[in-house]
Order: sequence, then structure tokens, then C-alpha cells
Amino acid sequence: MTDARTDILDQGSWVDRESGAVDRRIFSDEGVYQAELEKIFARGWNFMCHESQIVEPGSFFANYIGEDQVIVVRDKKEQVQVLINSCPHRGNTVCRAEQGQVRSFYCSYHGWNFGLDGKLIGVPDEKTFYRGGLDRDKWGLSKAAQVQSYKGFVFATLDPDAIPLEDFLGWVGRLSLDHIAEQGDVEVVDGIQKNVVRCNWKLAVDNLFDWYHPMVSHGSAIKLGMLSKEFLSVDQQMVILGEYGHAIGGVGVSREDQQRLDDKYNNPGPDAKKRRRSPNSWRAEQKAKEALGPVGIRSKGHPNVFPNLWVSTGATQLCLRIPKGPMETELWWFTFVEKSMPPEMKKMVIQGAIHFFGPAGLLEQDDGENWSHSTRGSKGLTTGARALNFEMGLGKDEVYVDESGQSCIESPVSEHAQRWLYQSWQEWMQAESWDDLIKHHSPEPRGKI
Amino acid sequence: MSSVTVEQMLLQHEVEQFLYHEASLLDDRRFDDWLQLLTGDIHYWMPIRRTTTAKDVAHEFTAPGAMAFFDEDIMMLNLRVQKMTGPAAWSEDPPSRTRHFVSNIRIVENTGDSTSSRTGDEITVALNFHLYRTRLESEEDSWIGRRQDVLRRVDGELKLAKRHIFIEQTVILSQNLSNLF
Repeated sequence: MTDARTDILDQGSWVDRESGAVDRRIFSDEGVYQAELEKIFARGWNFMCHESQIVEPGSFFANYIGEDQVIVVRDKKEQVQVLINSCPHRGNTVCRAEQGQVRSFYCSYHGWNFGLDGKLIGVPDEKTFYRGGLDRDKWGLSKAAQVQSYKGFVFATLDPDAIPLEDFLGWVGRLSLDHIAEQGDVEVVDGIQKNVVRCNWKLAVDNLFDWYHPMVSHGSAIKLGMLSKEFLSVDQQMVILGEYGHAIGGVGVSREDQQRLDDKYNNPGPDAKKRRRSPNSWRAEQKAKEALGPVGIRSKGHPNVFPNLWVSTGATQLCLRIPKGPMETELWWFTFVEKSMPPEMKKMVIQGAIHFFGPAGLLEQDDGENWSHSTRGSKGLTTGARALNFEMGLGKDEVYVDESGQSCIESPVSEHAQRWLYQSWQEWMQAESWDDLIKHHSPEPRGKI
Repeated sequence: MSSVTVEQMLLQHEVEQFLYHEASLLDDRRFDDWLQLLTGDIHYWMPIRRTTTAKDVAHEFTAPGAMAFFDEDIMMLNLRVQKMTGPAAWSEDPPSRTRHFVSNIRIVENTGDSTSSRTGDEITVALNFHLYRTRLESEEDSWIGRRQDVLRRVDGELKLAKRHIFIEQTVILSQNLSNLF
């Protein structure tokens, strides 16, 4: 018998595109996890925060790229900096708070002090102890290799060779974020919910595309009337797949229904004045339609910006899945409101966020145990050896391409998006560099799928 | 403390017995009976706590109306109980084994006086809590914090009119918060 536990990373291929089988040991293997930190999190673009969280110079928000803690801060020139939270002298953190307002980052070990741009600006008794002085230019905080924003959403990568953020996002990643950005002048509500789930981060991501599970996992919430059959719309789903692993899966509005909605909007009739603004009414605006495109505007599903950023139901929240080891993940929830919303509508959005999601959310509270047991099940000798089944919809559907170039798959609930996630994940894991990834990643699928 | 009256001691006793009884209903999963102890206008709230510098510590907790872990009225609490006791509530099936502890119970405000039992009198109580949970084979969670409860006298009986829960954890170290505090 070969030693199955040591060569999981070396086997180099874990996803069978022909059958939709996924080697489940990728959900608990330490070697695979360490490679992910390097090849996916350090190489890719990671969501840091929304610009509304760091408005003033000196305001900061602590986040992670893989397991490296970073400080996202607006500097004195109003540029957003992403600094590695580790003093180059002894490695201590220079920022211990998760958010706040500072003038500099002062190391509590020996007092090295760093500017908001990461430069070393203070060394206690430098002349006495570093006779001749320190080369301050050389000993600033390390920084992310690149920091870029898309419509207010700040991302960073540790890889200087990473392609520009907008190219990485592609139309699917941009469309995903547009679901929030096109609501208007949005801001993050104070308070990021954070909690730990003892699961592999990929299972949490896989789940967001999964419209097969609500009927069972969230049966209790359905019974309360929190999710309607119409809302789940299991027969009318739309999956959108984008380069580098981005995808959207979930409810899709048919072309005919969209036409009806458009007609209603264009010919509002006598009741138009009575029509109240709702958290969803932005979708009817011409500006939003143009930004989202003819296919994008019909998608009401769950987008994931690869690797780990979920634009949650109704596009009022982002959920970031931060890896904390192969078998542990932190979930961070960012909640958005449009600044000009009336107070009662803001309240509705916030209350909805609290009651649906987060650790006490009536939906979310039933997810964690499933994901943690799936993760645990990948570790057993017998259980780990049996690949998982991702064959739903495989070979049954066709990619539709709109005149605009946008594409989608319209079908009942399927696992197209999950297969795309794992296939893309594998391509990231197999690539040696950005050059390699650019050359060998899959283009958007066309035809039969 | 020298001026403590017998009436104050009796009120302290009554408040403590109410809180112990209420905690036991939760541990015994008698949630419908627990709901009977709440007023119709209850506010049950757990803000989010953040690690801040000492200078920013005033912003440690989110404010009312901002994001929170719980921000519930009587209808939402009824829904939570309905969910927990109904079918397919997987986070509580098999049921969690919980034990609620309350201590350091202090009456910090009383709109009546210690001898009065008028409907509408409100007693604000500060206390520490420890909720311990174990599930399945070996899952174990523990939440500690401080609470500010308001008890209101209704027809002679105490009812819970407000429960504000200030938890010590910033990152909640459990997979969910599927239990009532």
C-alpha cells in the first residue's frame, strides 16, 4: 500500500473534469494548505476593505492575506497602504487593534516607529545604540506588492507580477462587485461580525454556489417563512463563469420575465408615485442595467470573487472566508447600505443581515456544523480516500452567449459553479507563476458543459 | 452598605430567584415558558465587540442600530424559539447541552422603591454571565460577558423588558450562536 497521506500535494491533480470528482483530502491536507497560501492567497488579489471604512488619514482596518496579517491604512497623502503587520527588528506586531485611528505604528517591543506609509520614522536612541545610524530606507514595514481599488473595494496582492485588479476580476468579478457598487453611494455599516468555523475555507466557498442545500440545511428557516419557494427558484437558475475562478450561481431571471420587468418600469402607470423605493429598486435603474449588462442584470445569484469573497444574498453583504489552517476558517461579514437610503430602509437592511447571516443568523447558524463535519470527514483513512461527487448538471447544459458577449448557463440547480471553482483552484495550484497561470488557465467555457 | 434595608434584601433575593429560574428554563429547553417571562416590548441585543487601542476604547462596542450579533424584538425571539423547537433545526438537533450561570448580580437602578410593587416599576440589573455549551461527541464552547437586564413589574410579577449582552470575545470562537443568552 502506498503512503497516501504524504503525496497528496505531489499528485498535482485532484479534480477530475470528466467525472466531476474531487479528491476530498484537499480539505484537510497540511501540504496542500501551505501551497494554497503561496499559490492562491499570496499570488491573487485579496479583498482588504471598503474605502468607506478608512476615510480619514490614519484610519486603518486590520485584515489578512493568507495568514499574514496586514494593516490597511489611509496615509497622509490619502493613498491606501497595505502594510505587513510585523516589525522588521524582532517581528512583533506594530498594530494590535483591529480598526481605529493612529498617527503612526509604534512597536511595543523596542519602540521602532513607522509612518502611515510604512517608512521607519523613529528608532529610540538610534545614535547611541546604532553607532553611525540605521539605514532607515531599508528597514520600513514590508508592504503588499500592489494595492488597487475597484469602485471603492480595496484589494491587495503580495505578487509584483499579478495582472491589474480589473483584469484579474474580469467581467464576472467586476459584475459581482457591481451588484453592491451600482446601488449608489454605498458605505460599510459599523461592525464586522467575525466567527470561527472548523472547516476548510473551500467548503465555505463551495457552499455559496449551492442552491441544492437550502431546502435541507435551512429547512427550519424555510418553515418560518424566511425563504420562499419563489425566492429559491430551483428550476430557474443562472450560473456565470469567469476567468481565474470567479463565478456566480443561483437565481436567474428569465429573459421573458426581465422583459416584463423592463416594460413595467418603462410604463409605470398611475401607481408609479406610490411605488416605494426598496433595497432592490436600484436594479431597475438604467445606469445599473448598463453597468451589469443584459445577462448580469438577470442574475440574482451568489457571486464569489476568487478565491474567498462572497457577495451575499441581495448584495447587501460581503462575506470574507479567511483561512486559519486547513481545518479552520474565519467568516467576516461586511454590511453595506446606500448613504441616501431613508433610515427605516437602512434598518431593514441591517436587521435582515443580522437575522439571516452571521453566527446567530437563522440561516447561517445551521451551516457551520455541516461544513466542519465535511472537513473532518476528509481526514479519515476510508472517508478521505473516497472522492466527492460534483456531477450535478455535468454534460447536461449549454453556455448561452449574449450579443453583448456576456455568457451564462440557464438550468435547474446544478454544480457547474462548484466544478469551475475546483477546476480553477487546481489551475492556480498547478501554475508556477503568474506567467504560467496566464498561459494555462481555462478560458470561459463555451458550448456544451 | 450600612443602610441596607430588609426590603432591599428581599428585592435582591426576588431578582436573583427570577434570573435563576429564567436561566433554568433555557437549560431545560422550556423555551415557550421562557417566552412567557418576556414583556411585549423586550429589546434583546448583543453588539459586536472590537479590539481597540486604549485611546479608542469608547468605540469598543457597536452602537445601537449598527451591526450586532443579536438585535431582537419579541417577534424575532418567538421565531428563534419556533426554529429551535421545530423540525430541521440542525444546529440544535441533536440539542446542545447548555448551562447558564449568572453571578455578581447588582441592582443598579430602581424606578420604584424597594417596597413598591406597582405595575411599570423597572429594576435595572447588572450581572456577569457564563454560558457553557457542549455538543455531539466533543464540541465545547464557552461565552462569558456582562449583561444589563431590565426587569419590569407586571401585575406583581417580574418580567424581562431588556437584555443587553456584552460579550468578551471579539472574534466569536464558536461555529454559531444558536443558543439564547
